[in-house]
Amino acid sequence: MASGSGPRRDAWSKRVLTLTVMVAAAFVMLLGQLWYLQVLEGTKFRDMSEKNRIRVRPVAAPRGILFDRNGLALVDNRPAFTLSFIPREMEDRDTVLARLAVMLKIPLAELQDALAKVPADSLRPVRIRRDLSLEDVAKVEESKLDFPGVVVEVEPQRVYPTSTFAAHVLGYVREVSEEQMKGGRYRRGDMIGQTGLERLLDEHLRGRDGGERIEVDALGRSVQLMQREEPRPGAQVVTTVDRRIQEAAERAMSGLSGSVVVMDPKSGDILALTSSPAFGLDTFAGNMDRDAWVRLVKDPAHPLLNRSLQGQYPPGSVFKMIVTAAGLQEGSLTPMDRAYCNGEYSSGTRTWKDWKPGGHGHVDLRGAVVQSCDVFFYQYGLKVGPEAIARYARAFGLGSVTGVDLPGEKSGLVPSPEGRRERGRPWHSGDTLNMSIGQGALLVTPIQVARMTAAIANGGVLWKPRLIQRVERPDGKLAYSESTRMNGQVDLSPVVWAFLRQSMSGVVNDAVGTGAAARLPGLEIAGKTGTAQTIANSSSAKGQDHAWFASFAPVNDPQVVVVVFVEGGGHGGAIAAPIARQIYQAIFLEKVAMAALGTGS
Amino acid sequence: MILRIDRRLLQNVDWPLLAAALALICLSFISLWSLSPSGGIAFRQLVWVGVGSVAMLMVVALDYRNLVRAAPAFYVFGLGLLLTVFVLGRTVSGARRWIHLGPFTVQPSELFKLIFVLTLAWALTSRWGRPLSRGALIGTTALVGVPFILVVRQPDLGTALVLLPVLASVLIGLGIRLKIFVGLIAAGLALMPVAWLALKEYQRERLLVYIDPFRDPLGTAYNVIQAKIAIGSGQLLGKGVSGATQSRLAFLPERHTDFIFAVFAEMWGFAGCLVLIMAYGLLVLRGFEIAAGAREPRGRIVALGITALFATQTLINLGMVTGLLPVVGIPLPFMSYGGSSMVVSLMALGLLLSVRMRQFQ
Repeated sequence: MASGSGPRRDAWSKRVLTLTVMVAAAFVMLLGQLWYLQVLEGTKFRDMSEKNRIRVRPVAAPRGILFDRNGLALVDNRPAFTLSFIPREMEDRDTVLARLAVMLKIPLAELQDALAKVPADSLRPVRIRRDLSLEDVAKVEESKLDFPGVVVEVEPQRVYPTSTFAAHVLGYVREVSEEQMKGGRYRRGDMIGQTGLERLLDEHLRGRDGGERIEVDALGRSVQLMQREEPRPGAQVVTTVDRRIQEAAERAMSGLSGSVVVMDPKSGDILALTSSPAFGLDTFAGNMDRDAWVRLVKDPAHPLLNRSLQGQYPPGSVFKMIVTAAGLQEGSLTPMDRAYCNGEYSSGTRTWKDWKPGGHGHVDLRGAVVQSCDVFFYQYGLKVGPEAIARYARAFGLGSVTGVDLPGEKSGLVPSPEGRRERGRPWHSGDTLNMSIGQGALLVTPIQVARMTAAIANGGVLWKPRLIQRVERPDGKLAYSESTRMNGQVDLSPVVWAFLRQSMSGVVNDAVGTGAAARLPGLEIAGKTGTAQTIANSSSAKGQDHAWFASFAPVNDPQVVVVVFVEGGGHGGAIAAPIARQIYQAIFLEKVAMAALGTGS
Repeated sequence: MILRIDRRLLQNVDWPLLAAALALICLSFISLWSLSPSGGIAFRQLVWVGVGSVAMLMVVALDYRNLVRAAPAFYVFGLGLLLTVFVLGRTVSGARRWIHLGPFTVQPSELFKLIFVLTLAWALTSRWGRPLSRGALIGTTALVGVPFILVVRQPDLGTALVLLPVLASVLIGLGIRLKIFVGLIAAGLALMPVAWLALKEYQRERLLVYIDPFRDPLGTAYNVIQAKIAIGSGQLLGKGVSGATQSRLAFLPERHTDFIFAVFAEMWGFAGCLVLIMAYGLLVLRGFEIAAGAREPRGRIVALGITALFATQTLINLGMVTGLLPVVGIPLPFMSYGGSSMVVSLMALGLLLSVRMRQFQ
């Protein structure tokens, strides 16, 4: 071997030979071990490798929970069963699919379509049907051996206090669509927020899925859990919503079409925001079929529309507060100004009717606000002028979005003579008359009215309505937080603010006030009713009128703003004001109860 | 840098040695290719083979005696690299072994294996090192002890463990007295409890798992068990590329690098393993032959050290993959995927060739 130079083998090469022999012996030992493993025990190991299959199962992360301002959950999670296919592990697809289709009463085409979308050797489960009934789960588990690659996963699923609770604020969660997957941010089968806060905060709420490696034998029975990476739950969101008020508002609006916005005038916090009719949040979570979706989209009542910020309506007499503010501040109107209202107002060849046949008789400014006299405002609206009215309307935030943290907000419309001119269209005095009572081309959203009312209540601060207080990651770190933000300020003299507030108090508390139906013993509410005609000045049926009630309370130290809008409801005072009353009752439960006791004794 | 190579040098090229290495590189390419048929990894490895071949030719062109003479400089440089790892090293699975050099990450402890051999040759042939006295032994131990500790601290237990048998082989080759040798081993054993404390938790765990593999069925033992299943299921003739479910379905961890032998064994069975082991055997035998045939002390130590390096790495890696030894991270020379390992192995091959070519000078 290590011969070096023939017979003259020196000590060095002898010692190298020793090392060589040692190494050679080690190699022989190694071959022995290989012989043992591969030949003697080979069959056993071959068998083990046949049975040795590791299944990788994703473990879905629970979505973050949304809380109200007092720590009550607005939405939670519950475990739900999902039927999934693992394409690579499936055998004899046609038979398996056919049998499953019959067993679970799922159209065969649906199963085939779902599988056709993914590569045949994918190890990632394809979610076929969510929220299986326990009965179906039992059926699948019983036939597990016949259905390799068919698994039942446990996924956390959204559970809501009630089906439609805060539907437009929370938004629904649904499996990612083909379109949404194009961005590459989502994987097939991901559940993502599609509207509302669920969509806005999806990135925070989703968390990160974990995974499990399970060793299974040839029959698919799990032998042992090899490794588990825990999913990272989504972040928790603390909203500004008060669940109790939200529930009260929804209860008050049940059966009606419209919207309620409850806001804290001191901070702009949204305490409640409703839009009705609402949609069932839970109908999206499971398996919504095409027909149900089409029915929802085509529903003439538009349940998917968030009326509080996407619905644009004429404000009706609620707008008289703007005209009043503009007139008083500009000096074109004083509290002493009076008018005689006989129920109609003639201008040119046309006659403009007051809402009250026969009129209100002699009224001053306060009386005109309290009784919502149209004739007074026709007369003085012309004096204040459309430019000033439009300017003050904009100053109060009408005609521009409030910036609330929800998608799809509309800006409404504040018409003005110069705006008209720019588009080459004339501005008639009739337009000014219409505008003076909040009709015509003027359009507002309920949340704009809430912000405007809050500005009256707090002396001019336009808040950016706040829905999200903070987002907290599971480790307690703050992922996002939002402080209250002003996005405008209205400068009026203190006397004007006082007049606006006092006259609005009169609307509710004076004997002749149009908002008397909102009156609540023990709580001084200030408000303004509005009845918006969908076709201005037409004598259309009462049923077509939209009812408004914009209010705040208590007058001396405003804590909440409640804006009620009822689509096709009729008179604001008759329809919207009582709803606001119900909501105030819920908010100031104790105060009202104490007052009731006080009067009782 | 191109030196004129004597015609006589070319006559002494050790072709069997080169052939063995080439065969191993081919087997490695096939294994990497079959693991990912798109070939990305296999071709990247070929690039490293190219780089390594150039490095090898440079080593061959230089006289190894000059390299040994320059060993102190290399030693300082190597020590510097190891220290750099501590300062700006990249941490991969709990260990800082790599440093960034532009787009590449380099593993200095790989390169240090060569420097270690050259330093040994330098120290043991210097004036105070001959004859092998106690003082020389202590000096040499100190010289290799410092980087040894650095490597252990990285921690790169595998590399550190490779250096000890290399040192032992060279000392045996130089005719160390049995009493002293046994004394050194005894001292080493006495230090083991200390070493145990210096080990990282995962390294201890690996040693414990070696004693009782089912101690941790989710972690380390999983590697060992899966590797055993992969190798054993290859049986006599192997499962072929497509049938190698263990490897292809990613049951095997680190299957491109440290565990590549298990992939090969599953695909080609005992028959294939026999070919592979024969190639390693040829490589090592030629190495010893060159060491035995060298007439000049520096050449002897370099050739013996390099051969011991190859033999130790191969045996420890194969022993670990087949479940005979604990799992320590050591690449299989010429087989495992990885640039540093491939380039260093080819440079080591260059040193062997160089000693052989110059043995009659």
